[in-house]
Amino acid sequence: MSDTDNVILDIDDVCISYGDELAVRNVTLPIYEKKITAIIGPSGCGKSTLLRSLNRMNDFIHACTQDGHIAFHESDLYASSTDPVEVRRRIGMVFQRPNPFPKSIYRNIAWGPTINGFSGNMDERVELALKQAALWDEVKDRLQDSALNLSGGQQQRLCIARALALEPEIILMDEPCSALDPVSTARIEDLLFELKESYTIVIVTHNMQQASRVSDFTAFLENGVLVEYGETEDVFTRPENERTEEYVTGRFG
Amino acid sequence: MSTESSNNLAWRHKKATAFRFFCVGVTGFAVAILAVLIFQVTSLGLPWLDMQFLDSFPSRFPEKAGIKSALAGTLWLISLTAMISIPVGVLAAVYLEEYAPPNRVTEFINVNIANLAGVPSIVYGILGLAIFVRFFALERSVISGALTMSLLILPVIIISSKEAIKAVPSSLRQAAYAVGATRWQVVRSHVLPAALPGVLTGVILAASRAIGETAPLIMIGALTFVAFTPEGPMDEFTALPIQIFNWTSRPQEEFHELASAGIIVLLAVLLMMNAIAVLIRHRGSKKG
Ligand SMILES: Nc1ncnc2c1ncn2[C@@H]1O[C@H](COP(=O)(O)OP(=O)(O)OP(=O)(O)O)[C@@H](O)[C@H]1O
Ligand SMILES: [Mg+2]
Repeated sequence: MSDTDNVILDIDDVCISYGDELAVRNVTLPIYEKKITAIIGPSGCGKSTLLRSLNRMNDFIHACTQDGHIAFHESDLYASSTDPVEVRRRIGMVFQRPNPFPKSIYRNIAWGPTINGFSGNMDERVELALKQAALWDEVKDRLQDSALNLSGGQQQRLCIARALALEPEIILMDEPCSALDPVSTARIEDLLFELKESYTIVIVTHNMQQASRVSDFTAFLENGVLVEYGETEDVFTRPENERTEEYVTGRFG
Repeated sequence: MSTESSNNLAWRHKKATAFRFFCVGVTGFAVAILAVLIFQVTSLGLPWLDMQFLDSFPSRFPEKAGIKSALAGTLWLISLTAMISIPVGVLAAVYLEEYAPPNRVTEFINVNIANLAGVPSIVYGILGLAIFVRFFALERSVISGALTMSLLILPVIIISSKEAIKAVPSSLRQAAYAVGATRWQVVRSHVLPAALPGVLTGVILAASRAIGETAPLIMIGALTFVAFTPEGPMDEFTALPIQIFNWTSRPQEEFHELASAGIIVLLAVLLMMNAIAVLIRHRGSKKG
């Protein structure tokens, strides 16, 4: 594959456990720059756990311990010299449920850049992020309204805009469409295509069509084990593993 | 079968109605007692409540006696207590909820704070006497009283602030961390504002307790007959509940009525503190 030199995140033999319970087992997986990687698999197989390990959000879960290596641009993500705050600024995250701050729409976007020392024109930054997230037209006249007054789909796009405002290199998305209607889902998928131009995206999804539509690479997890990984087309049309085939075609026990 | 289940339903409705009436009755009982109390106090005390009462020092003659020194003492006491206990209590709660690792030591501290909340106030009085009045030689000053009161109400403030902080959804914290915030930035900009209403409720509860406490103040030697108002934290003082207690223990009927007037003043101070809290909470929720 010609893309191999563009590995931005290199997940190498990673095990993650909660107390004694092993949630992710020896996963080795490259994430390619400016591509969309989908992580699929049955509920409870460790998708969210793996995703959170990529921007050190597991640090906040006390029972959570991790083995193995994750390299971000070839430097160790978990090295003691790596600042997790800096990691999270450069690797953004969109959560399964929209979780806007209980503040104005404007403040939701502006807070991240502000605390990270952004000194440019904040109005422009907010506008750009909202445009990138395809939300600008709907909210441009009420930027000072509370973000909680937005619909669920709008809130989720706001959360995407909030992540984009930091100009991260990677955006991690944990089932960003699970609380959304088909129209909002379609808008976010369109958005993903546009974002791919400049960002690396890792998306967890339960929706097989979504995974096959939007992603370049697909990883299939089961019980914390990486069963199959490859280009999305291969994984969906000629999977090597029987379990993968059963899962992607919906015949999963 | 169907009649049986509908009978059953009717019976359940009856039970629900009965329980509602029971609740209304109990609430009504509490309100009635409170009403009687307030009526008694105001009917006795209101005639005595005038500027002269508010602006005079205690006296042997009821018509000359007033509450000036006690009111000033209570305001001094409660302000100093708030200044000491609110920052310490809220920050302790922040530490215990946001920073402390969930291990045995933390658990031990938490359990013992809960225990301290149940310690009788007179014990705090003895502690205050030994530590602040004697050891630190702060004498019978307002600051001794305020420090003692702070010890007394700290557990309440810490526990209620902890609950308020715990109630802040973790999704909010995660959202903030995910945009590259440090722990302090998350706490200051998101956790504390979201927890503010709960924290304030706890603070008001605690302050209401402090304002009505008499035993620890008597223990540390607050005076019962003070013909001056404190000028600074090192001055001697008296407080409203002490003055009220003093008046009720006199034989003359007039002093009992003065005590009622004092209670009205105490209630007014309490209501004022509540109003301030509501105001802060309102402003906190409005700004976005
Ligand atoms: N905070 C936690 N503490 C303890 N165990 C956890 C925690 N979070 C997840 N787990 C366990 O780890 C395993 C993987 O969970 P994870 O959330 O990663 O699954 P998932 O693939 O994202 O599932 P879903 O598709 O339902 O979101 C599960 O068995 C779950 O019970
Ligand atoms: Mg999940």
